[in-house]
Parts: sequence; C-alpha cells; structure tokens
Amino acid sequence: MTKKTDQENGGISRRAFIGSSAAAGAASILPKGAAAAPQATASTVPVSLPPSPQQMAREVGDARPPTTFRAAVRPGSDLIVQVLRDLEIEYVASNPGSSFEGLQESIINYGEIPNVMPEFISAMHEESAVDMAHGYAKSEGRPICALVQGTIGLQHASMAIYQAYHGLAPMVILVGRDDKHFLQAHTADDVAGVVRSFTKWDAQPKTLKEALDDIHEAYRQAITPPCAPTVVVLDAEVQKEEAGDLEIPAYRPPVIPTITTAQADKIASGLLSAKNPRISVGRFRTPEGIRRAVELADLVGASVETKSPEGPMSFPQRHPLVGPGADGDADYELGLEVPGAQVSLNGPHLRTLTERDLTGINFGGIRPPVRPRQSPPGENDLMADAEASLPVIISAVQRQTDARTRKTIEQRTVRHGKVNHEARMDALREALEKKREGWDASPVSTARIYAELWPLIKDLDWCIGGPTRFSGMHHMDLWDHDRPYSYLGGHPAAALGYGLGAATGAALAARDRDRIVINVQTDGDLNYTPGSLWTAAHHKLPMLTVMHNNRAWHMELMYVQYMSGVRGRGHDRAHIGTTLRDPYIDYAKMAEGYGMKSEGPISDPNLLAAALARGVESVKNGEPYLIDVLTQPR
Amino acid sequence: MTIMMKFKNHITALVAGSVFIFCPAGAQVAFGPVTGDAENGKQAYYDYGCYGCHGFNGIGRHNLANDVSGIMSNEALYLTFLRARADQNPLFPTQSMPNYAKESLSDEDALDIYAYIRSFKDDPPEVEDIPALKAILDAAKE
Ligand code: HEC
Ligand SMILES: Cc1ncc(C[n+]2csc(CCOP(=O)(O)OP(=O)(O)O)c2C)c(N)n1
Ligand SMILES: [Mg+2]
Repeated sequence: MTKKTDQENGGISRRAFIGSSAAAGAASILPKGAAAAPQATASTVPVSLPPSPQQMAREVGDARPPTTFRAAVRPGSDLIVQVLRDLEIEYVASNPGSSFEGLQESIINYGEIPNVMPEFISAMHEESAVDMAHGYAKSEGRPICALVQGTIGLQHASMAIYQAYHGLAPMVILVGRDDKHFLQAHTADDVAGVVRSFTKWDAQPKTLKEALDDIHEAYRQAITPPCAPTVVVLDAEVQKEEAGDLEIPAYRPPVIPTITTAQADKIASGLLSAKNPRISVGRFRTPEGIRRAVELADLVGASVETKSPEGPMSFPQRHPLVGPGADGDADYELGLEVPGAQVSLNGPHLRTLTERDLTGINFGGIRPPVRPRQSPPGENDLMADAEASLPVIISAVQRQTDARTRKTIEQRTVRHGKVNHEARMDALREALEKKREGWDASPVSTARIYAELWPLIKDLDWCIGGPTRFSGMHHMDLWDHDRPYSYLGGHPAAALGYGLGAATGAALAARDRDRIVINVQTDGDLNYTPGSLWTAAHHKLPMLTVMHNNRAWHMELMYVQYMSGVRGRGHDRAHIGTTLRDPYIDYAKMAEGYGMKSEGPISDPNLLAAALARGVESVKNGEPYLIDVLTQPR
Repeated sequence: MTIMMKFKNHITALVAGSVFIFCPAGAQVAFGPVTGDAENGKQAYYDYGCYGCHGFNGIGRHNLANDVSGIMSNEALYLTFLRARADQNPLFPTQSMPNYAKESLSDEDALDIYAYIRSFKDDPPEVEDIPALKAILDAAKE
C-alpha cells in the first residue's frame, strides 16, 4: 500500500491544517505587552470557523465521505472479528486508537448481529482494559481480548499485563500498529518488545493470513498451561486490506500433556488402597477441572483440602469432604496443582518462561536465586497439568473399584462429613467471636461489612471480584466459597490499581450469567484507574463496590510509622505521603460523576445494612452501585 | 527470640511476679492511676498514628481495648514499653509496634494517650444478639 495524501483521502490538506493551527497558536506566543491582543483577536477573527453546509451534512451522517479509492468489500479486520467470534471471545476491552480503527469498525459493524461476541467494551485506560481481561479470565477460566494502541497504549497496559502474567491469566492482547500513516511516535519496529519479558508469546504478522493464524496460536498459547497473556500486533494495512476470497483457517485446540495411563493406575491404587487418602486441591485452569476433582474425591471418599477462600478455580469449600477428615493423618496424599504431596501433579510453572526475558531484566522475582517461588520438584512430583490428567485418573479409579471398596468408601464419606461439619462449626464459632469485636465502632469495622453483606447475597450467584486482603478477608470465615469464581484472589504481583478493573472484568462475565460481583474496594487502589466506574455504569455491569475507605495508603503508613520509630525523629509527620487527607475524597460523588448510583460516606455502623441492601437491590437490576464506607484502618 | 519478645517476656514476668495477677481473657487486672488528660490524648493518639495499628477505638490489628496483657496496667510500665521497642535498622519493611523515643513523643503526650486508651471499652453484643452473625451460625448448623 502506498501512502495517500490527505486530500486524496478526503481530508483537508496537512499543510493547510498546520497553517491554520499555527495562526491560532500564535496568539499564545505574543509578547507580554500584547496581553490584551489575544482576546481582541479572538472576538474579531474566530479561531474555528462554523462548519460549511457540506461539512455539516457529513457530520450528521447525511453524506458519505468523499472517496478516491473504494473501501474494501471484505476488509481484513472483518475476518479477524470472525476469528474472535469463532473462538467465542465475548469481549474486547479497549481504549480507542487510530492504529486499529479498521478493527474497531469491524467489531462494531461486522456480521449479522454486530458488536456481539465480541462486544466492544470502553475502557478509560489500557491498564483497566487488561485488568478487565484479567478479572474475566480468573472468573471464567478463558480469555477475552484487550485491544490497545501501539506503542503508547501498550505501555499504559504494561503493568497490568505484568500482573496478569503473575496471575496466570489467559488473555489475548491485540495491539494496533500504524507504521507509515500517522504518528511516528506511536510506532516501533518491534512493538511487543516492551512487554516481552512478561508475556508468554507474541507475533507481528506481515500478512492477513498470518494474522489469522497468529490469533489462533496466541489463543492456544494463552490457554495452555502455564496460562498467561499473549500478544498479536496488527498492522493497519492488514486490518484494512481487501481479503478477497481468503478463507478463515480452522482452529485446532491445544493438546495439553497429561500423565500416562500407567501413572494414573498407580495413583488410583494409591487412593483406593489407602485407609485415609487425602487430596489437596490448588487452582485449576477452568471450571471443568473443579468438576472433575469433585468427581474424583467423591469416587474415592478422600478428605480434601481446598484453597477456595484464597483464590479462583478451586474445590468448593462447603463440600462435605472438605476439612480435617475423620481419620487423622493421611496415609496417601495426592496434590492437584499443589506441590509436596506424596504424588503431586503440577502443570508447568512460569519459571519455564524465563528464557523469554530477552532483555535480561529478570522481571518479577522469577529469577530463582532471589526467592524461589516453589520448592524444587520432589521424587513424586509429576510435571503434568492436573486438570487434563483427572479424566485419566478417574477412569483408572473406576476400573479398579470393586463392591467391597465401594462400601468402605461410602462409610468413610459419611464419617468425614460428620467430623468436617463439626470442625467447621468450631472454626465458625471462634471466628464469630473475633468478628463481633468492634461491632458498634465508628468508623465501621471491616468484619461488619462482610458479615452484613452475607445474608443479602447468600441466595444469589455471587463473585468477589477484587482483592480483599487489606479489608481483612472476612469472607474466608463467613461466606461459602462454592463456585469456581467465588473469590478471584489477591493482586498476583502485589501491584495496586487492580481491584476495580478486575472486578469490572468479573462483572462482564457476570452480566449475562445472572450473577453479581462484590468489590470491597480500598481507596488507594481505586485512585489509580477509577475510570472503570464509568465503564461499569456505561455497560450496566452488576457490580457492587463497597469502599474500605481508610483514607490512606494504609499499609505504607504503617511502614513509615515503624521507620520513624527506628530513627527517632518524630512520628507526627508519618502521614505525609501516606494518607489521603486534606482534602478527603468523596467517593460517592466520584461515582456519581461517572454516572454510577452511589451513597455515603457512612461512618455510623447502624446505617450500613440498609445501604448494603439498597446496593444489592440495584445491582440485581443491572445497575452498578457504590457505597462509601469510612472504615477502621484494618 | 527477638529483642522485643524478650522484653515482653521480661515485663510479663515482672508484672506476674509482683503486684498483679496475670490473666487469661476475662480475668481481672489491677490497674494503676491515670494522670494524663484523655481529651488531649484523643488527638495525640491520632497525631502519633496509634490508630493506624490499634484502630480508632482500640480494636485493630492489635487490640488495646479491654487490654489485659499487663503492659497497660500502669503508666510506668506502658512508658517503658513505648521507649524500649526495637530501634535497629530493619531491612525488611515491618508493621510491628514502633519505638516511641522521648524526643519524638513526650512523656506528657504519651501519658495523655495512656489516659485515652484506658477509656476504651469494647462491649459488642453477643453473637446471638447480632442478627447477621446469628444467621451465619444458624445456616451453618444445617
Ligand atoms: C505500625 C503499627 C503500630 C503502631 C503505629 C502502634 N502500634 Fe502499638 N502495637 C503494635 C503491635 C503489632 C503490637 C503488639 C505486639 C508487639 O509487642 O509488637 C503493639 C502493642 C502495643 C501495646 C501493648 C499492648 C498489649 O498487648 O499489652 C501498647 C500499649 C501499644 N502498642 C501502644 C501503642 C501506642 C500508644 C501507639 C501510638 C503512640 C502505638 N501503639 C502505635 C503496632 C503498632
Ligand atoms: C503499583 C503499586 N504502587 C505502589 C505500591 C506500594 N503499595 C503497597 S500497599 C499500598 C497502599 C494501599 O492503599 P489502599 O489500596 O488504600 O489499601 P490500604 O493499605 O489503605 O488498606 C501501596 C501504595 C504497590 N504495591 N503497587
Ligand atoms: Mg486505604
């Protein structure tokens, strides 16, 4: 493709444009003595002329733009959208950019039912777009896309990509690249290079055919363990070219390596011959893994350890087999994505990706000598994806189970159920004694927020979208985490500015699934990318945000307080740079400004329950809601 | 054992060995007199950041309300505790109780804070009397 002049493309000439804006700009560089001149100039010579009748007709859509060459009949970006549709990518979260206007136009206009699968989701910041993909991925175990402007949008997105990489979140990041026609500052030879250390795979295809294949590969790579973000850079030409009769390639799903039948037989006989087998379950890739793990546990009547209150895609917390079990120490332990058991199945770890760090930055402590992230594989650690291996183990168990073993298993299951229930009641009673502390305190105790939310949502399908560590994680003791998405977990790279975006992504997943998302939102974290409040309002996402508003970056305040003590030079200035005072931020107003229903600040704990009820009601009706609660610091 | 743990044990022994009966939760501690001004103490408790880890009302990461550990039992012990925290350079960020040297928190302010802390009383309703908590308990029984 050769570069057309602006006139040929139907615009005003670049020279004329620069000429007129230079004249307008001259006013601002007049010498001081001529201070009154700009105003005088402004009133006599309008800087912008009223539109001509022709321009007006164009503006309101009555006239087609002048063209000198025909638009593509079957533009390349239509095929790209068809590929995304075939992959069942529900959403493309994006902040608009000229390097992908072709693709954006296809998303919103192409097909029988345009702008559905994928739907274009307006993000206010590229970091938010990626956080949304991250929240969605943790909730559904599958990717959506973030679409960002190369190179600037990708730089905005980079920290969120880094966090998603640590979070093992599958997503496909599409990046527009316009190398010739627009701003040189927005292009680069190797656009994806800036995020290569913390993405799993990337491509910068030269042709449309390659682009379609590369999107398939990016998708496969993203969902193959270790799951992670992948990148495809799409040139403007590729998006805009005439595809002619180019066929859309067929998608081949990845083949995920499992254990062998012989290994499965050994595990099955271990589980079946043990007096007291136990299964430790970590995080799977998709809900299918959980379904299979429940099936296996039920088949062998093993007591189960779950990570469900800590993160997504894990064994349901209130399953009767979950708990210490009836029979004391286990004599056979199987780890599913949990290392260190007698036999552990662990999918490949991110450490195997360190070779992608071509810059040698050794990002993110994946450099083993600093802090090894995992104990080295033990004798019985099998490097195989647990989720993919479960069907093989289940068949082996079914083959090996006879009537007598079945009877033993049934009896054991009943015993476990009883003991686990008692253990749970004990733990709950103890926890409730802690939760009632400071119950009537003002500002409000964080435990009270979670306690009063529970009766309102327990009969709904709910998901905790954002991290909860700073607000006390009280849901761990008080709520029943029985779905793959009950709690999506913390900040995987401890990087703030994530909660709202992740919860918004979880709410995208929730919107058409009759589910609501709870986001207990810290104030510091919110203020990095609050724009997702608007995204949630605009797209009518079922998200209840309850502020854990301690008016501080409180964790940092405590660190500085300690440091002040060590140095002995005063404690009364520790609030500098660690608190959000002078002025206080009004989050209800902030939400209102973004078009979200809201109320607060609430500091009287007796007003909390009613506010939460209003919030839940609103969210059930598809209207996101924010409640500003002034809380105890921790 | 860290210096602080040693110190705390030392205090514990000191208290237990002399005037006070050392107590599990619920038992009585004999409290010494209060000489500071609780009203001033309220502001100082905020300004010197005690609220940050102990909550605005003494319920927080480490509770001070209903305190029965002994350190709060008299002013002298409390002052000693404030002044004798670790003051070595920590390389790892920590959120534990800071040292409060005399130069940065005067005895007077510290004792006002003491008076304020002594006024804390957390008396929440029983679980059975808090509908939200009771509902959680009842549901779990099933
Ligand atoms: C950065 C967090 C932090 C700050 C700020 C802080 N504390 Fe503490 N404080 C702690 C922790 C943690 C403990 C408990 C364990 C220990 O001894 O380290 C504690 C223990 C105490 C105790 C002993 C309580 C007991 O168990 O008997 C007293 C008294 C106390 N703090 C008073 C204060 C006062 C007064 C201030 C402000 C001038 C203050 N603290 C500020 C963290 C903090
Ligand atoms: C991107 C990023 N910047 C800075 C930090 C350092 N940091 C850790 S916790 C924290 C404060 C968190 O404030 P908030 O979200 O309000 O939670 P709080 O501690 O107040 O409960 C900061 C700034 C970080 N982890 N990530
Ligand atoms: Mg905060």
